[in-house]
Amino acid sequence: MVAGDIVLTGLMAVLLVGVAALLTRVENWRSYTPLAGGGAVTGDETAVINREKPAGIIRWLTTVDHKDIGLLYGVYAVIAFAVGGIMAMLIRLQLVTPAGAILSNNAYNSILTSHGITMLFLFGTPIIAAFANYFIPLLIGADDMAFPRINAIAFWLLPPAALLIWAGFFLAPVTDNMIEPARTAWTMYTPLSVEQANPGVDLMLLGLHLSGVAATMGAINFIATIFTERNEEVNWANLDIFSWTILTQSALILFAFPLLGSAIVMLLLDRNLQTTFFAVEGGGPLLWQHLFWFFGHPEVYILVLPPMGLVSLILPKFSGRKLFGFKFVVYSTLAIGVLSFGVWAHHMFSTGMDPRLRASFMAVSLAIAIPSAVKTFNWITTMWNGRLRLTTPMLFCIGFVSNFIIGGVTGVFLASIPVDLILHDTYYVVGHFHYIVMGAIGFAAFAGIYYWFPIFTGRMYQRTLGKAHFWFSMVGTNITFFAMLALGYLGMPRRYATYQFDGAIAPLTQVSTFHQAATVGALILFIGQLFFVWNIVQSWLEGPKVEDGDPWNLERDGMLDREFQWFEEQLEADSPEKDPSLLADGGQEEQNDS
Amino acid sequence: MAEEPGLSDQYPTASPWPLFVALGLALSEIGVFVGLFPVAVFGLILFGGSIAGILTESGYVERPWPTLLGVGVVLIILAAAFALWQVPVADIALSNVGTGPLFTRLVAVAAAGAVMIAMGGVASVMEQTAA
Ligand code: HEM
Ligand SMILES: [Cu+2]
Repeated sequence: MVAGDIVLTGLMAVLLVGVAALLTRVENWRSYTPLAGGGAVTGDETAVINREKPAGIIRWLTTVDHKDIGLLYGVYAVIAFAVGGIMAMLIRLQLVTPAGAILSNNAYNSILTSHGITMLFLFGTPIIAAFANYFIPLLIGADDMAFPRINAIAFWLLPPAALLIWAGFFLAPVTDNMIEPARTAWTMYTPLSVEQANPGVDLMLLGLHLSGVAATMGAINFIATIFTERNEEVNWANLDIFSWTILTQSALILFAFPLLGSAIVMLLLDRNLQTTFFAVEGGGPLLWQHLFWFFGHPEVYILVLPPMGLVSLILPKFSGRKLFGFKFVVYSTLAIGVLSFGVWAHHMFSTGMDPRLRASFMAVSLAIAIPSAVKTFNWITTMWNGRLRLTTPMLFCIGFVSNFIIGGVTGVFLASIPVDLILHDTYYVVGHFHYIVMGAIGFAAFAGIYYWFPIFTGRMYQRTLGKAHFWFSMVGTNITFFAMLALGYLGMPRRYATYQFDGAIAPLTQVSTFHQAATVGALILFIGQLFFVWNIVQSWLEGPKVEDGDPWNLERDGMLDREFQWFEEQLEADSPEKDPSLLADGGQEEQNDS
Repeated sequence: MAEEPGLSDQYPTASPWPLFVALGLALSEIGVFVGLFPVAVFGLILFGGSIAGILTESGYVERPWPTLLGVGVVLIILAAAFALWQVPVADIALSNVGTGPLFTRLVAVAAAGAVMIAMGGVASVMEQTAA
C-alpha cells in the first residue's frame, strides 16, 4: 500500500508539474484583457487578433466556440453509441441459445449494466447536447452560448466520466479481478448496489456523478442562453420548436440531475463510510427506488423531448407545410415537462406500495400519454396532404413517428396497474422503452445528423447509403423490439443471462424462437450502422462540397431557418476575394494564406 | 499589452482552462471518494488552480493568487467542520491518518487547502514585492 501511494504521489506530481508547465507555455497571465461577463468575444480588436482559434489539436483542446463544442459532443456520442452498440450485440449473441452462447453470467451482467448506462448517459444526453450546442445559438441569433467556458468544462467532464464508467473493464485484467465492472444494472437498486464490494461500482458511480454535473452545467447554460442571448427578432412567440424543447429539457435536468447526484453520493457514502441512508435500519432500500425514479422518469423525457423537437423542426421542411398546431406542440412539451415529475412510482407498482398512492400514479401516467399523442397527431397532420420529399432525414422522421407510436402505446398499457403487475420485469418493458430510445431517440439523432450534415462538414452525404441506413435500421429495430414485446407476453423475465427454465416460467421453444428473431433483427440493425459510419466518414473526407446555402431547397416554401441563413453567409464569406474576417469557423492553417 | 499575449488573448474563442477544471474535478472526486490520498490532494490543487486561472482569464478577478488562497481556506474550513461534526475529538490526531476512513479523507482535503494557501500567499507576496 505504501509503495502504491508513493507511485501514485509521483504520478500525480509529474502530472501537476506537466500541467503547470503547459499552462505557462500557452498562457501569459500578465496579458489578460478583462472580459467580465464571461463572453468570449472581445469588442476591441486592438491586438494581433485576426484569427479565431489556434491550429491543430490545441484548437480542439482549448476551444470555447459552441460549434466546435457541438462537434466534440457529437463525435463523443457517436463513439459511445458504437461502444454501447457492440455491447448490445454481445448481449444478443449470448441469448441465441437458452444456455447462453458466449458469455459467463458475470460477464453478461457487467455488459448489460454498461450497455444501459453508456447508451443513456454517454450517448443519449451528449448527442442532444451536440445538436443543442451547435444550433441553439444559430437558431436564436446569438454569438455564442451565455457561458462559453462553462460550456467547455461541461464537455470535458464527459471523457473522464466515460473512463470511470468503463473502468472495471480496463482494470479487471490488470488488478487480478480485484476491480471489476459494475453489475448493478443501470437502476443500481439497493441493497444489491451497496453489498457489491467491488470498487468498480464506486468508479462507475463517480463517472455517473461527473456526467450529471456536466449535464447540469449544460442545462444552466442553455437556460441562460435562451433567456438572454436571443437577438431582437427572436421573441417567445417565434422561438423555434427545437429551442423550446431544449429549454424544457434543461429545466427538467435542473430538477432531476442534482437529485441523482445526491442520491449517488448517498450510495457512495453507504458503500464506503458506513452510513445507513439505504440500509434497512436507516432509510430503507425502497428509498433508493423513490429517489432514483424521481430522477429516472424525468430522465426519459430529458432524452425524448429534444428529439421530438428535432422531428418537429425537420419533418415540416420535407412536408412543404408549416408544423401543424405549433402552439399546441409547445404546450404539450411544457405539459410533459411538468407531468413527468408526477409519475415516477409507475416503475414501482410491484413493490407493495399503498394501493391508493399507486392509483394516483397510474392516473398521472395515463394522463401524460395525452400530450404525447397531441404531438403525434400534429406530426401526422403536418404530413397530411403535404408535398412529401422522402430524403434520408425525412425517412428517419417518419420512422420516429411510427416507432414512437408503438413505444408510447405499449407504455400506456404498462401504466395500467393490473397489466403492469403481469408485465413488470419482463421483456415487454425492454421492448417498450427500446422502441422509444432506439426507435425514436436514435432515429431523431440520425435525422438531425443527415439534415445538418452540410452545415457540419460543408459536404453532402451519399444518399443511397443514407437510405440503406434507414431501411436496415427501421426493419432491424422493429424485428428486434417487436420480438421483445412478444417475449414479454410469454413471460420471459428481463436481465437473465440464460433461460433454461422450460415450462416453469415460459415455454422454451417459443421463447428461444423469439430470442433468435431478436438477434437476427439486431444483426440487421448492426449492418445498417456500418452503412452509417462508412457514409459519414467517407462523405466528410471526400463528399461533394456543398455550394448552395440552401441544400434542401427550403427557400421555396419560405422555411429557411436562421442556421441555414448563417451557413449561406459562411459560404459567401468562404469564397475568395470576400472579407476573410467574416469567417468565424476556420483554424489558423486554413486562413494563414488568405 | 506590453508582453507576449497568452493563448486566450490571442484567440477570442480559445481557453486552456476548461479542460483542466474538468480534469481537476474528476481527480478530486476519485481521490476523495475512493480514498486515494495523493490523487485527492493533487486533484484538488489542480481544480483550485484552474478555478483561479479561469476566473482571472475571464476577468471576474484581477489576479489568480487571492482566489487560490480563498479556495484553500474554504477547503480547510470544510474539512475542519466535517471533522468536528463527524469524528470523535479523541481520534483527531496525526497518528490516525491512514486508519480512520473519514478522517484520512478530511486530512487530504485540508492538506490540499494548505498547499493552495501557501502557493497563493507566497505568490501574492512575491508579486507585490516585485512590482
Ligand atoms: C407515453 C408515455 C409513457 C408511458 C405511459 C410509459 C410508461 C412506462 C411504465 C409504466 C414503465 C414501467 C414498466 C415496468 O417496469 O413495469 C415504463 C418503463 C420504462 N419506460 Fe416508459 N412510458 C412512456 C414513455 C416513455 C418514454 C418517452 C421513454 C424514453 C424516452 C420511456 C422509457 C422507459 C424506460 C427506460 C423504462 C424502463 C426502466 C427500467 O426499468 O429499466 N418511456 N414506462
Ligand atoms: Cu417512467
